[in-house]
Amino acid sequence: MDTNIDQTLDVKGLTCPMPILKLSKTMKKLKSGQILEMLGTDPGTKLDLESWCKKSGNELLDEGELDGGVFRFVIKKA
Amino acid sequence: MEEPSNKNTSTLGELYRTFFSKHWPIWVGGLILGLLNVFLFMIKSPWGGSGGYNNWGENVYQSLGLLGLENVTPTGDSLYGMLNILIILGALAAALFAKEFALRIPPVGELIKGFIGGGLMAIGAKMGMGCTIGGFFSGIPALSGGAILLTVGLFLGTIVALKYLMWEMEALPGISSGKSKTLLAASRKGGSWQKWLGLIVTVFVFVMAYFYSKENMTMTWFVIIGLLLGMICQRSRFCIVASFRDPFMTGKSSSTVGIITGILVGLIGFTLIKMFGVGAGDLPLRYREMTWVFPHFWLRAPIGGFVFGLGMTIAGGCAVGTLWRVGEGQVKLWASAVGFLAISPLAAKYIVPAFVGLLPHSTRYKNFMPDYIGYAWSVVLVLAILLVWYLFVKWNEKTGKFSAY
Repeated sequence: MDTNIDQTLDVKGLTCPMPILKLSKTMKKLKSGQILEMLGTDPGTKLDLESWCKKSGNELLDEGELDGGVFRFVIKKA
Repeated sequence: MEEPSNKNTSTLGELYRTFFSKHWPIWVGGLILGLLNVFLFMIKSPWGGSGGYNNWGENVYQSLGLLGLENVTPTGDSLYGMLNILIILGALAAALFAKEFALRIPPVGELIKGFIGGGLMAIGAKMGMGCTIGGFFSGIPALSGGAILLTVGLFLGTIVALKYLMWEMEALPGISSGKSKTLLAASRKGGSWQKWLGLIVTVFVFVMAYFYSKENMTMTWFVIIGLLLGMICQRSRFCIVASFRDPFMTGKSSSTVGIITGILVGLIGFTLIKMFGVGAGDLPLRYREMTWVFPHFWLRAPIGGFVFGLGMTIAGGCAVGTLWRVGEGQVKLWASAVGFLAISPLAAKYIVPAFVGLLPHSTRYKNFMPDYIGYAWSVVLVLAILLVWYLFVKWNEKTGKFSAY
């Protein structure tokens, strides 16, 4: 990915609902158009994140899996 | 050109992908869990979660010579103690098949929250005489008036605990930060050892079911159904906490819809079982009717539900949500399970009796709704409540009126 990451949020080890709570808090501090990278390990985050993005209007640019069971999401603030 | 043998493997591969490459829609999970719940009731009695933890705890205290417990059922002979173990094994097998298993160790603060959440659930379940499964997912279809009040308590507890979590995030961010670790995760391409281990776990469960079948056929059913419950919960991420919490958090309605689906299926099956005394055997019909109707009407149920709601939201999983997350390797929920089993016998012996003694007897009796309004209107009442709940979460999802984010 060539996207410039403005901030990285590490929620590895955390389980639902903590990743979404942390994400909401972090996103509030970003400016419109800035890009956040989130790293987590809860397999449930994916579904939560998709519906959260739809709801909040933020854009999910990329999602993938890194080695070591880490999920990576890239989100652009609306 | 494909060889015939390749065709066979691709059919099997397709089946595998259907079950394990994506998560299932949660309403599909709810539907099948509802059916399995009816199955359990026809064989013996409906699904319950907190009793199994209590059985584990009693066995632990007895083996340590504490609390002076007598006549404790060994977990191997306890239907619900075993059912809980099998839910863990089922979730473990499903997570392994899907290569989703990993030991996810959270920061210490989260482990402590897990333990406290589990302890609160234990107290709430003893106080309310049931948890989100026995008191709600089975209790509502059992047409218990107390179950409806327990549900109100669960709601209030969930909302209060969600407010707490949001406050904690701002005021005490250190609790959910710090060192975490993930072990044994499958790599993207490799990690097929997980599939093989999943197969071994599954075969082991069927061998266990076979050994029970010689003397205890009911247990054989509980073992097999427990495995399926665990697998389905893990694949559909069947979460009762989310069904209560999400409408007030992100506004997502899918968990609520999934749980409503399961309750609807249970409602149909349980009503028929109770009305016609299916599986009553030599016991009187009345005994069958009063199954899973607990003496918690009208005050014990909502108080217990409230405490349980606090606990499950802080832990991030109810009695069963904890079990299947234990199976997929979420270590915070291991702490929750330990808290649950450690506190449950203490709650039964000391904490809850002291409190219940203060309540007049008229606040803790059995309320079987058909005794007052008949079967038909009881079913209609439950359907109406479910419909209102469904409309609320769908409307809220669109408007975001009650969602925090």
